[in-house]
Amino acid sequence: MTLVLEVNGERHALEVEPTRRLLAVLREDLALTGAKLGCGEGACGACAVLLDGIPVVSCLLPVGAVAGRAVTTIEGLGERAAAVQEAFVAEDALQCGFCTPGQVVSATALLEVTENPTRDEIHAAMSGNLCRCGTYPKIERAILRVAGRAVA
Amino acid sequence: MSQRLVKTQREMEGRFEDVWALVDDEDELETWPEGTELAVVGRPATRQDGPVRASGVARYTVDVALPGMLVARVLRAPTARCRARLDLEAARSVTGVRAVLGPEGPFTMTGDPVLTAEPAWAGQPIAAVAADTPEAAAAGLAALAPEYEAVPPLALEAGLEEQRFTEEPNEKLRGDPDAALADAEARVELTCETPAHVQTPLEPHAAVAAWEGDALTVWVSTQGIFDARKELAKRFGLETEQVRVLAEFIGGGFGGKQGAGPEALLAAELARATGRPVRLVLTRHEDQVVGGRRAWTRQTVTLGARRDGTLTAVELAAVVDMGAAGMVFPVAEPAFSLYACPNVRTMTFPVRTSLRAQNAFRAPGVVEGVTVLEQAMDELAVALDLDPLELRRMNHVDRDQATDMPYSSKRLLACYDRAAELAGWSTRDELRTARADGLLRGMGCATQIWWGGGGPPAHANVRIDASGRALVTTGIQDIGTGTLTTARIVAAEELGLPLERVAVRGGDTGPNVYAPVSGGSMTTPAVMPAVRSAAGKARKTLLGLAADVLEISADDLTIANGRIKSKDGALDVEVTEVTEKLGNATIDGSGTRGPNPEGFRVNTFGCQIAQVAVDTGTGVVTVERVVAVHDVGRIVNPLTAASQVEGGVIQGVGYALAEELLVDPTTGIPVNGHLDDYKMPTIVDVPEIVVDFVDLPDENLPNLGSKGLGEPPIVPTAAAIANAFAHATGRRTDALPLTPARVLEALA
Amino acid sequence: MTTYARPATIDEALELLAEDGAAPMGGGTDLAGQIDRGIRGPSTVVDLGATGLDGLERDGDVLRVGAAVTLARLATAPELEPYAAVRTAASLAASPLLRNVGTVAGNLCQHTRCWYYRGEEWHCWLGGGDTCYAQIGDHRKHSLAPGDCISAHPSDLAPALAACGATVEVRSRDEARELPLLDLYRSPTDDNRSLVVLEQGELVAAIRLPPPPEASAYERVGERAAFSFPLVSVAAARRDDDVRLVAAGIANVPHELDPSDPLAGLPGNPQTAWKRTLLATLAERALAAVR
Repeated sequence: MTLVLEVNGERHALEVEPTRRLLAVLREDLALTGAKLGCGEGACGACAVLLDGIPVVSCLLPVGAVAGRAVTTIEGLGERAAAVQEAFVAEDALQCGFCTPGQVVSATALLEVTENPTRDEIHAAMSGNLCRCGTYPKIERAILRVAGRAVA
Repeated sequence: MSQRLVKTQREMEGRFEDVWALVDDEDELETWPEGTELAVVGRPATRQDGPVRASGVARYTVDVALPGMLVARVLRAPTARCRARLDLEAARSVTGVRAVLGPEGPFTMTGDPVLTAEPAWAGQPIAAVAADTPEAAAAGLAALAPEYEAVPPLALEAGLEEQRFTEEPNEKLRGDPDAALADAEARVELTCETPAHVQTPLEPHAAVAAWEGDALTVWVSTQGIFDARKELAKRFGLETEQVRVLAEFIGGGFGGKQGAGPEALLAAELARATGRPVRLVLTRHEDQVVGGRRAWTRQTVTLGARRDGTLTAVELAAVVDMGAAGMVFPVAEPAFSLYACPNVRTMTFPVRTSLRAQNAFRAPGVVEGVTVLEQAMDELAVALDLDPLELRRMNHVDRDQATDMPYSSKRLLACYDRAAELAGWSTRDELRTARADGLLRGMGCATQIWWGGGGPPAHANVRIDASGRALVTTGIQDIGTGTLTTARIVAAEELGLPLERVAVRGGDTGPNVYAPVSGGSMTTPAVMPAVRSAAGKARKTLLGLAADVLEISADDLTIANGRIKSKDGALDVEVTEVTEKLGNATIDGSGTRGPNPEGFRVNTFGCQIAQVAVDTGTGVVTVERVVAVHDVGRIVNPLTAASQVEGGVIQGVGYALAEELLVDPTTGIPVNGHLDDYKMPTIVDVPEIVVDFVDLPDENLPNLGSKGLGEPPIVPTAAAIANAFAHATGRRTDALPLTPARVLEALA
Repeated sequence: MTTYARPATIDEALELLAEDGAAPMGGGTDLAGQIDRGIRGPSTVVDLGATGLDGLERDGDVLRVGAAVTLARLATAPELEPYAAVRTAASLAASPLLRNVGTVAGNLCQHTRCWYYRGEEWHCWLGGGDTCYAQIGDHRKHSLAPGDCISAHPSDLAPALAACGATVEVRSRDEARELPLLDLYRSPTDDNRSLVVLEQGELVAAIRLPPPPEASAYERVGERAAFSFPLVSVAAARRDDDVRLVAAGIANVPHELDPSDPLAGLPGNPQTAWKRTLLATLAERALAAVR
């Protein structure tokens, strides 16, 4: 079946089964490997992308459900994520980096809605992105840094 | 001639082996003395590959896509033990399936078959399929139509009773603990279970294999590219030069990704059979069940002491759920080495069960041992009405008691003091005063010990070209520890170049520059001295060439911050003034890691203090704060070093509060081999973590004075949390983790 | 091969759902997992995303929440502010990434999280097999009430909505009915292992909330501070002197408690006894919050 997907501002006409998961289509058909398959169960957030600007897990979504909607992956965040990515590097909010694209997607989405999030708001927004290396304290610092709050 | 072959000892996870190592006397360098003003070493530096990881451009094994690549899947034992019958032909005839390997093969690889028709543990591989698409691979697996005859699983308690061990129970003895216990003025006994703890790297085990004639290239998510290369060469009857292993980006390992693993072996076998590249990636469920784990233990510790707190006897009986096999890790080490005690006996019972063999997870054995021993120490402190930190100070020892060798450095007392200061230890009893929120609070401490000396062999090359930039080639596979950046800093310091002019590469056996596995906290103490030596040689050569160009004696020149200067200050030029004369030539320096210093044990030490709040109505334990102070010698990069500590502490919090792999008693299969039921910490579970180091070089370690940091931070965390819980509530649970269920039962 | 349909109207959807083997999909977050683990194998997945079931509007003095309203919207929409228990439940369920996709009806109708039911390696009684593996195995997180199945109800929204007096609009191609929310659920029986009363072709179309209670609260404990199914949760809602107390995590389905004796009929067993303590605490706290 031909589905038209809008990914990172580009329209793609793809021959795909609509039940195939969005993450698989992104990674295998469109070679957008930034979003990762960490669990395939929605439990880790490494597959996070924006759907019409809202952060969602992409490993459970059938691609048919997103036809006609705007999908943005880490590769397509562009300038919107630049400050977040710089802050992640500066604060060392990454170690193995496997969860990082998903973290950046969630963090970018948070800051677009809440310019100056509290610690609680950061926790609430980021609680779906697991990090086994344990970069959480630095992710928090990075987000606060982007919000312009000096960190002790 | 400056190169020699010497016999020296190298250490990993407390195992010592004699190795021949090629050493070069020219590589010997003095440690920078304490107090030296260093340009980059000891200053925070962001990761060289940070931007690439943050942008999603970094390519992990799971991202590797080659033209014509096939997808592989593995059929695995659905129960703990069974006998399987398969329809291989049916699988082979599924559209899109290109190869099927059954337990009989056919295999090109020699040695222990990865596949078996009589699996002994849940998830053990039975057959493998390579197909054009994931859907075809799944269809191929289904077409195998496996029939299973289930065999009852081997349970732990039955195994202990029947003495079903993976190897002979090990008794270690020092002195006469029976007599000492009989005479002891104070005696405590504590039994605690520690959970099976799954590494759960976010990138599952994965491999991509591609043949070109007899040359094999493998990408594998591994902590040991050279181990993988050796294994693949041996198994497939190849020379090592015919095998290239790549692991530029690895999505976490924590001990569970050693060598080639069955993934690379099967991928290479299927690639051979099909003539096409093959990628094998484990699903999350597979990874949780077969990726490995820290073994469950049940330990009984008995301590004897004098009334003043001096330890006179330590006894440990440790039952370890080994699964099918595996190495018995040093769960007994803390009993033998953490504190001064002349009389120690440990018995370790490695029980065979129907799980996959347990394997290394960050400080294997010692985490388990410290978790229980440190709780017993606190019970002793309570029995004697002594401050728990004071009790530990009293029983401090400067020597490794097993060998009677001094430690190369041990600043544990300073760690205790600093941690106590940062945590507010002296006012900890005030925490127990009731507050408006109704939670019970407490503070607990624990001591860390681990090894940190590494050893040869390890090599590095440094190349400077006309642009005045340096490229450092290592065999390091950076699993998230930032070791490539550590190497960058060390090279830049020695070369006198700014960081931006130095690049480090690793993750590829192609250049054949060996580094050991990223495990055992080895990389910094093993590889960085080689990097420094290589840089030292390149610098020397550069200064020699500068002397030629600038017509001044090399002895009168220095390099710093990318500029070559004469010692009298008259000459001051950019490095490129000299290097541009190279044209297409390069300056090359190679370095080797020297022998380990004799007569010392190289260990790391530390102290962590945790503060918890307990909701007695719900059983919820919140870790509010963890202070972590470690002695690992000289800190090269304080930014990434702090990240290592935070990461280890957070894994320790998970181990203490929620993580446990549980096994169904009827079928022997893990019940929670998925992330919805195996609960790792999220950002909301993280305490305030205060990190500090006793950042002084180990003067007995040549060259850098640095010990390894990868594992120490996870060692004492759970013990400190359990001790804080006991301080808050006056109770202990007989098992970790401290789930609401266990807490409510303990408080009832 | 599963067919996928994305009908443009509710009537089209109901027509498709009338066929055997057709399953409705909201956000798909639970359905995807069930398909992956072989719990369900629908012949057609009927994606309700384009059928306009995501409305949130007043219908007289009733607040009508469309079945496809996401948890994220439920957690923040101003219309829900007077229903504190529902807001809290919606904001604590799952993770923010899942709340942005998961729907109200999906959360209510999600299948149990019992690790035997969900595990590919067991074909348990609830899934149509012969043995309840939980009862002979590890049931430390399971129900306090005995039965053929001892799975625990996992929904955060169900107790909160039930305590606030919600009803459910159930529709099929040929019928429409309204039930009190707790009547959406049933105990599984030998001939019908389903935990909801929905038949083939039926779906939840909307939740209807009566005027808000004077006070409501939702107390829950998970296995970690965030992103965990409730081990036990209790919702309380008070209208005048009348308090309703409903719990999740302690029976197969959301369970109404007697405020004067919350543990009645919930004996537990050695593995689950701890849940009784937790239930007592949460019931007490929920009651105190609405006093």
